[in-house]
Amino acid sequence: MKPFELLEPRTLREAATLLHAAGDAARPVGGGVAIMLMLKMGVLQPETLVSLASVEDRYSTIALDDDGQLRIGALATLRAIERSGLVRDRIPVLAQALRRLSNVRVRNVATLGGHLAHADPHMDLPPVLIALGASVRVVGPAGERVMPLADLHAGYLETVLARGELIAEVTCPVQGSRRAAYLKCTTRAADDWPALGVAAVLEAEGEVVRSARLVVSAATDVPTRLSRAEALLRGVRIDDALLARVGEAAAAEVTPIGDEHGSAAYKRELLDVYVRRAVRAALAAR
Amino acid sequence: MGTTRTLRFTLNGEPVTTEAPSHWNVVELLQNRFNLYGARESCGQGLCGCCTVLVDGVAVSGCLSLAARVDGADVRTIEAPAATEDGLDDVQQAFIESGAFQCGYCTPGFVLMTRKLLDECPQPDDEDIRHYLSGNLCRCAAYPEIVAAVRLVAQRRATRG
Ligand SMILES: Cc1cc2nc3c(=O)[nH]c(=O)nc-3n(C[C@H](O)[C@H](O)[C@H](O)COP(=O)(O)OP(=O)(O)OC[C@H]3O[C@@H](n4cnc5c(N)ncnc54)[C@H](O)[C@@H]3O)c2cc1C
Ligand code: FES
Ligand code: FES
Repeated sequence: MKPFELLEPRTLREAATLLHAAGDAARPVGGGVAIMLMLKMGVLQPETLVSLASVEDRYSTIALDDDGQLRIGALATLRAIERSGLVRDRIPVLAQALRRLSNVRVRNVATLGGHLAHADPHMDLPPVLIALGASVRVVGPAGERVMPLADLHAGYLETVLARGELIAEVTCPVQGSRRAAYLKCTTRAADDWPALGVAAVLEAEGEVVRSARLVVSAATDVPTRLSRAEALLRGVRIDDALLARVGEAAAAEVTPIGDEHGSAAYKRELLDVYVRRAVRAALAAR
Repeated sequence: MGTTRTLRFTLNGEPVTTEAPSHWNVVELLQNRFNLYGARESCGQGLCGCCTVLVDGVAVSGCLSLAARVDGADVRTIEAPAATEDGLDDVQQAFIESGAFQCGYCTPGFVLMTRKLLDECPQPDDEDIRHYLSGNLCRCAAYPEIVAAVRLVAQRRATRG
């Protein structure tokens, strides 16, 4: 691994300023899990790493907002989110998704900010959080902005974040009466990176769906809403015939990309099947 | 300046201070500065658990942790002796009795993860055990014996009260 300089600022704003000044030669580090892999492979050779480990404690906290949304600091570890009583109670689908995300040691270290900023389409939480309607607050050297999480990812390992911009926190509406599920298909070890992920968030009365949000990941460059499949679900009673059409619509509206977890054709097949299963699982969830 | 780092931390109960290059990971730090080889790098990718170290009581993959992570922390490795006559705790004892290893390369990681599992979930069922230890790989495939060893510890602790 090539040597680099490690900076450890005490505030997020200071980190943003350092990163802005250093430009392309510098990278922020959250948990450092993804960074370490890239450093070891030599695909990343920074002169400077700016560790976020010492920034203000409030960026590691999980709390309920005045307006009933859950605020999760970007430096909160995936394990802290998984084990948070608030998360389990208010957004159970998030805790469930986390249980099958890699292993305990990775979750102990990986941060939510790093997880989102890495922009690997195989990440498990973006589809869930996007389907729930989460947004991210971004801090830069000159100020801050809030954007829907759905707008963060620009392509494979690419975000819309400008130089020096850092994810500060994620705000996510609680599940409330919405029913939600995240299904992940792995083709090697059980808790491997997904070959496909599908998140379904439904508003339903009995078996009749009022509105649906479906998001697919791991089969496309960025997490992608399945709007046509969603439209088919609106205002109707769910049965197998309808779900068959929903699965077909989903498989037709995106162009899957193959990788080492499965070919494009296989992923299209998976999408058809997993969208149907995810809707069923969401209906059966609370 | 920032290309080396002074690290002050507690290592297996002893306060230590050292200098290390910023780009070293925790395994390199323990091996090169403290001659501790219990945490060893195998996959180097966070998958196998051979490099497991407890930092402030949290299990991490040493292979993916920058050395700076340990600054100011309480670090425990498999070398930390237990307060028993032979220095082995009940988890290690159960691994020996259950034959939960062949070559032993993976064992430090499994033992440390088992201690954490039993802290968090004192009476795990087989599914809990497999889930918690899914990030630890044993190339000798002693998995059934490892699960049996974890159950044995849990059982003994329950009967001891
Ligand atoms: C063995 C293994 C298996 C894994 N399996 C899965 C899996 O199945 N599913 C899954 O979803 N994930 C999986 N992961 C990935 C894990 O979730 C990510 O590596 C992790 O979430 C990245 O978080 P981090 O804090 O370590 O990021 P870092 O490595 O610190 O950073 C990742 C990227 O984000 C940038 N960054 C970090 N923090 C911020 C911030 N606050 N603002 C802006 N940019 C930032 C960094 O510069 C870097 O580009 C796996 C990882 C490993 C090692
Ligand atoms: S060597 Fe670190 S997890 Fe395998
Ligand atoms: S005992 Fe040999 S790898 Fe586990």
